[in-house]
Parts: sequence; C-alpha cells; structure tokens
Amino acid sequence: MFKYLMLAGLALFLPGLYALGYSIFEGPSAWMVDSRTFWGTPISLFVFWIGLAHAGTLLSAIFLALDIKLDRRTALIAELSTLVCLVFAALFPLMHLGVIENFYMVVPLLDARGNFANVSSPLVWDFCCIAVYALLSLLFFTTHLKTREIPTLEKYRKPMAWLLFPLVLWVHTVVSLDFAATFVPQWRGAFFPVYFIAGAIFSGLALMNLLLCTEGYRVRLLERLQLIFSWFMCAIWIWDLMLKGSICTSALIFAGVLPQLRMVSFIRENKWGRIALSLSVLLGLFLERLYIVSPEFGLQTSSSLNWIDWGLVAFSVGGFILLFFGIRRYLNMKMEGSSAYFGEVDGNDLADAEQQELEKENVDVRGIEKPKKGFYIQPWASEEYHVLRFPLLVGFGVAIAYAFWMVGQSVFANVDFSFANIVPLLYPIIALVTALTLFVRAYFVEHAFTLSRFEKWTCAVLLVLLAACAGAFFAGGASQGSNLSLDSQPVAVDRPVSQDHARLIWNARCATCHGAEGKFNEKFVREFYPVPQKLDLQRLDSLGSDSLVKVILNGRVNMNAYAGRLTPSEALGLVNYMRSLAKEGE
Amino acid sequence: MGMDRREFIKSCSLVAVMGLLFGCRKIPFSEVAGDLPSLKRFEDEVKLAMSQAKKTLDLVKIPTPGALKIPGASPMNRFGMAIDLDLCDSCGKCILACNLENNVPLVPAEDAARNRFMHWVDMRGNAPFMCAHCGNAPCERVCPTGAANHTPDGLSAMMFKRCTGSRFCGANCPVQARKFNFNDAQKLGLARQFNKEVPLRDQGVMEKCSLCLHRLQNDRLDFKTKLTVGVTTEDAEWRGRGVKTACAEACPKNAIIFGNWLDDKSPLVKLTKNRVLYAPRELADLDPSVVFMRGRR
Repeated sequence: MFKYLMLAGLALFLPGLYALGYSIFEGPSAWMVDSRTFWGTPISLFVFWIGLAHAGTLLSAIFLALDIKLDRRTALIAELSTLVCLVFAALFPLMHLGVIENFYMVVPLLDARGNFANVSSPLVWDFCCIAVYALLSLLFFTTHLKTREIPTLEKYRKPMAWLLFPLVLWVHTVVSLDFAATFVPQWRGAFFPVYFIAGAIFSGLALMNLLLCTEGYRVRLLERLQLIFSWFMCAIWIWDLMLKGSICTSALIFAGVLPQLRMVSFIRENKWGRIALSLSVLLGLFLERLYIVSPEFGLQTSSSLNWIDWGLVAFSVGGFILLFFGIRRYLNMKMEGSSAYFGEVDGNDLADAEQQELEKENVDVRGIEKPKKGFYIQPWASEEYHVLRFPLLVGFGVAIAYAFWMVGQSVFANVDFSFANIVPLLYPIIALVTALTLFVRAYFVEHAFTLSRFEKWTCAVLLVLLAACAGAFFAGGASQGSNLSLDSQPVAVDRPVSQDHARLIWNARCATCHGAEGKFNEKFVREFYPVPQKLDLQRLDSLGSDSLVKVILNGRVNMNAYAGRLTPSEALGLVNYMRSLAKEGE
Repeated sequence: MGMDRREFIKSCSLVAVMGLLFGCRKIPFSEVAGDLPSLKRFEDEVKLAMSQAKKTLDLVKIPTPGALKIPGASPMNRFGMAIDLDLCDSCGKCILACNLENNVPLVPAEDAARNRFMHWVDMRGNAPFMCAHCGNAPCERVCPTGAANHTPDGLSAMMFKRCTGSRFCGANCPVQARKFNFNDAQKLGLARQFNKEVPLRDQGVMEKCSLCLHRLQNDRLDFKTKLTVGVTTEDAEWRGRGVKTACAEACPKNAIIFGNWLDDKSPLVKLTKNRVLYAPRELADLDPSVVFMRGRR
C-alpha cells in the first residue's frame, strides 16, 4: 500500500522538481504573478502547507494538554505529518525570494557590519516562529516515538504539549499578519488571525482523516471536528462576503458545502466516501489560498496559471507523499522490526472501542454525577507546572534579555520602532529556550534518558552545523566592489600631498562614510553601505601605512576601490591625515 | 549493509534537490551579453507605457507636509516634490529623463504587454506619478531586512545589497510605486548605464524613485567640502538648495518642482504657498512628500 503511494508520489515529485529547479534558475518571473501582489503560487502553497502542518500539533499536543484521549498511532501520524508539511512550508518562502542567498538577513541577530533585521516586519516574526515550531515539533515527535523504549520520557510530553499549544496558534497568527498588516483591502481585518487558524485546523483535520484512510481505520472524533470546522469556515466566508463583497466560490463549494455530505451515512461509512470528503476540503482550501494571495486571480481565467505553478503544486504534493510514507515505512521496518511501532496496526475496531468508551463516559456523567476530570486544571499544583517551572523561568529570562539587548542596538536609534514590534518574537524565544532547558536538564541532571552513540554523534554534528550557520550569518557575504561605476578620469600627476590637501580629499571622498572627524558617519552610512571600520590609532598602527594605502586604492570588503580617482601619494597623504585625526580623537 | 534500489533512488533524488536548490542560481554558460540597447528603444518603451497608462487618479486634499515624525529625522531638511496639474500636459519627457538618469532597464515584450514596466515614473491620470516618499512609509515597516529605510532627510531609500527580494514592500505599497527586477536585465541586454553615478540593479531586488539621491549626495559633499575649505556659504547647514531631480529638470513646463519642505527659500515652499495640495486617496494618511497641486487658494 505505502509502496504504491510512494510511487505515485515520485511520479508527481520528479516533474515538480524540474519546475522547482527551473523557477529557482529563472527567478520569480517564472510563475504566474499578478501586478498587485508580486507573490503568486509559492506563497499560496506556503500558507497551504503551514496550515496542514497544524494537524500534528493541534491533534496531538492540544488533545494531550486538554486530556482528550487520542491513541498513540493517530497521534504519531499527526506529528509526523506536521514535520513533513513543515519541510515544504519552509521551502516555498525561501525559493520565492528574489535573492535567495540573502535569506539569512531576515534572522533577527546582529551581523558583523552592524546590520539588524527589521523586527517590525511580519516576515521576521514568521521566520523565527516557523523555525522554532519545526524544532519543537521534531522534539515532541521524537519524545513520543521514544516513550516505548524509555517510559520516563512520558513525563516530559505534557509539558511540551503545553509549550506547543500557544506556539501553534502563534505561528498561524503571525502568518496571517503577513497579510493583515498590509494595505491590500482584501487582506485587512482584525479577524484574519482567527480566520487563518480556523482554516489551518480545518485543512489539518482533512489531511489527518485522509492519512487515517490510508492506514485503514478512522477516528470519528476527527471526522466530527472536520464537519464542525466546515461550518465555522462557512460562517467566516459569508461574513467576509457581506463585509467586503468578495468570496471564493469554489472554496465555498468544495470546503463548505460538499463536506456536509458527511451527514449522509452511506458516504460517511464508505472509505472512498471519506477520502473524497477530505480531498474536497483540501482542494477547496488550496483554491482559497490561491484566492487570498492573489485577489486578482479570481477575476482572471485560470489559464494564466502556467506549468511552473502546476509543477510547484505537484512538487509539494508528490514530495509530501514520498517523504511521509517513506519515513512511515522506514520507521515501521527499521526501528522495531515489526509494524507495531506506530501502535496498534489493526485499528478497525479502534473506533468502535472509542465509541463505546465515549458512551460509557456519558452514561457515567449523567448517572452518578462523577466529578468531571479534564477541563478544570489547577495550574500551580499540576505536575506539568513543576516540570516546566525552572525551564520557563530560564526562557522568560532569555527573552527579556534578548529584548533589552536588541532595543539597545544602535540601528534602532533611527528607526520608528515600538516594543509591540518585538512581542511576536518573544514567545518563540521563550518556547525554544524552555524546551531546550527542559531536555538538557532531563539529560544531564535528571538522567531521564540516555542517547546511543549514533544519536550523540548526530547531536554533536548538528550543533557544529548550527554554530557554522550562525557564524556564516554573522559574517555575511562579501559584497562586490562597485568597479562598474568607476569613472575613468586620468590620474593626476603623482607628487606628495600636503596635510591641507589631504584634508580636502578626505572631506570630499571619505567623510561621507568615515566622517569628517574620522568617526564614522552612521546616519549617512545607513542609507548606502554597511558600517565601516572604526579608525582608531591602535588599529591604524597595527595595519601599517602600506596596507592602508592598498586598501584605499584597491578596496576591501565594502570599501570601494579608489585606484582610478586617487594617486598613490594622495592615498598616502590620506593615511597620514587619518592618523592625525585618530590622534586628535584620543 | 547494502543499499537497495529504492534507497539508491532516494539518495539520488536528494542530491538532485540539493543541487537544484543551491547550485543552479547562476549558471556560467547563460552569460549571453547582448549589445547595449539603443536610445530609441527606451523612447519607444516610454511611448508604449504612456499609451497603456491608467487615465484616472483619485486625489484628495492634504495639508502642507511638515517635519518628519520619525526618530533621527533632520529638523532642517525634508525633500519632496510637487507636481503642478494645471501646467502638466503629460508629454512624458520626465519618464525618459528619469530612465536615463537612473539607468532604469527595459522590460521584455511579455512584461510590457502585461503593463509591467520598470519605470520609476508612471503616467497616471495624465500626470507623472512616482513614489511619494511617505513620512509614515508602509513599505519600510514590512521590509524584513531593513533594505527599505528612511533617511534623516525624508527620502525613502533602498539598500540594494541588503534586499533579499521578498517583495513584501511591493505588496504593501497602496499605489504600487515599487518595481521588482523580475528579469536579469543586464544578461538579457535590456540595461544600459547612461549615468555612471547610479549602479545597475541585479535581478531579484526592488527598486523605485530615489528622488535622485545621488544628486543630493553630490551637493551635500560639495557643501561640506566648501565648508571645511572655508568658502563662505550663507548657511551653516546644508539645505540642498539648487538641486533638481532629473524629471524636474526635463519638464518643459516646469510643472515638477523639487525642493525642501522645511526651507522657506526653497522653490517648493515658495511655489506651493498659495496652491491647494492633493495626494492620491490611498496615501493621504501616510504623510507623503511628493504631492500634486491644482488651482489657487
């Protein structure tokens, strides 16, 4: 079964891969972009996949946190689907960039040139939230997978679920702010976060139901939730229609009207019927994403989607099928030897058991007035709180320290910027630090689990890679010298220059960036260049006159070459003048 | 442990993905440098753009722009323009002048057919229309890298090297004044450097009207040099007097007036004194520096 699905996935994936490669080579003009938004299919696909990525955390973490029973197999499938969806969700915003190699500039960390990402931009929030979400989802999945071998890990699942609960809502709120924070009339509205979260959960549920069909069993709770969310989405769509007068009709039909057929028992009880219902929801929601991202798309004919657009869709769908069932099969075969790793294989009677349990519970509640377990949680007395207390403290501490450090950056002296702009970054930081502290403590202090040799090596390699990435981001790429725009004026006669002449040249040529007093002119530099080196006496002495003359004539990282515009003697005069400036400054 | 066929195919495809993602961005054999485009082609493109231009522009009255409210803004300078709708006869000379001054590239035929030009100055409602350099610019707020930022002198500037091409600024500009380099104009032979002072932009970055930033900077340098040499000037502070943008210079009717909103001696302040100022409806609340004027008060 999985094998055939993987083959089908491969058949979609390979042509899609070609489309992806072509569009990366060709740049953003490859796919259909309307004049209004500049974005197009990749961002629709991003919103679609990030929505699907909510299945896992919603179902597994939130159900766990709220004490709603979900069997191990369903939960694991949900968590795995989250991870695989996130791979594709992260790929599309990256590949849609105009200058892909500059993507690291979005990371809100200082780089060597004193640049800082603009933390007021929802894209920066996006980047951080999704990165943290991916990491925590991976931790959550691995923990769950390992609980069979190491039962002590069970203790950490619920605290993790509580960390992920707000994060999952946070991620999609931030994704919706990408749209709601803009001036495009169709995207404006305070309801956007709720709308996006509901859409995400709805599509995640549809994906889960579809995946459960391939597993050969069903969970009625999820099917019911899918139906309920279709009502919710319909309500939002109709409200939006009355508010703004526009609606994506195909989304309403596929994801609003057709799912109501679940109420027909013949369709509900038939496996193919359930598959059709889920597929219809997914299709409808995909069309809706296309419609949201390109509001003009609804007005044009659908033929304007070219083969690249379809290729990208095929790439993500095929890639998902391939990767998901590949990992699914691998885990089944390699890790436990039998296919029981994911829980009970014969899930056919599972739903019935669930039903019976539910009925029994209902009877109990109605009958004897048993105190209802679940929705009332005593926060300060719960075990999760005790486990999370210290890590949360560390998380909050780091987030506050980060906020203070960032606001203190010189870059923000000239930028209109309020504390509200960094709030979206804070929870991801808290969650990340808390989760890391939790597991570091569990490993080193509480010895709750051990790692095999292979796992230790993997962790070490990942840490080294992470450090290398951080270093590369910090250093940044070298920008090219602007040799193109050099004017080729004849060089003047080469003779030693006086201090006054050097001062003139300095003020004319160098002072724009380095400042008339040799202290760099930060205000101006921010308009054009990264911040140049500080020219203090110690640094000048350590470099020596010859090499400084060479730097002036030939340029260095961001310093332009002045070979055509200054004579070597003039450069030497400048070096001497710099030194006198530095002496005055001491 | 051997490798079965499936795993082999899997690893092959993984390698292919990596290669496609990281390797194919710039392939050396695609460097086909064509001849530089002739001036005639630039003129023809301006004519084509004018024939496709929007005929309407929704204007509302606004007060005279004052000092900027952003931190670090200069209290002395805020550069801007006013476009006199009573004088403008929409000849389009400003568009060509801007293209030649700022090395704005041509676009391929299919983009031209979809009305997607790179021109920093468009013709809308029979008048030139460019970035308004809003004091409260929505594009700068959403730029993730800070490539779009405000100078203390009131220009909405672009740092091309810092731009990662997310196009968020373009999506957030209510009047679509920003142009994205969808094509590699230099490789397609569509770009030509008429003006050495302005760099050619690479594929994948956003660009837009800079209010001829380079002219302002040259003037500022000149001023500072004179100041240190001791040549007497009237003012201790640079006010950007005597600078004109390329479009203002090219306008035969003097319908485009460039100047400093905070300088009483600036032609901009003098000529807008008794006029009614307008801005596009979408920009009215964003404190635009480039405005329209029509009728006398």
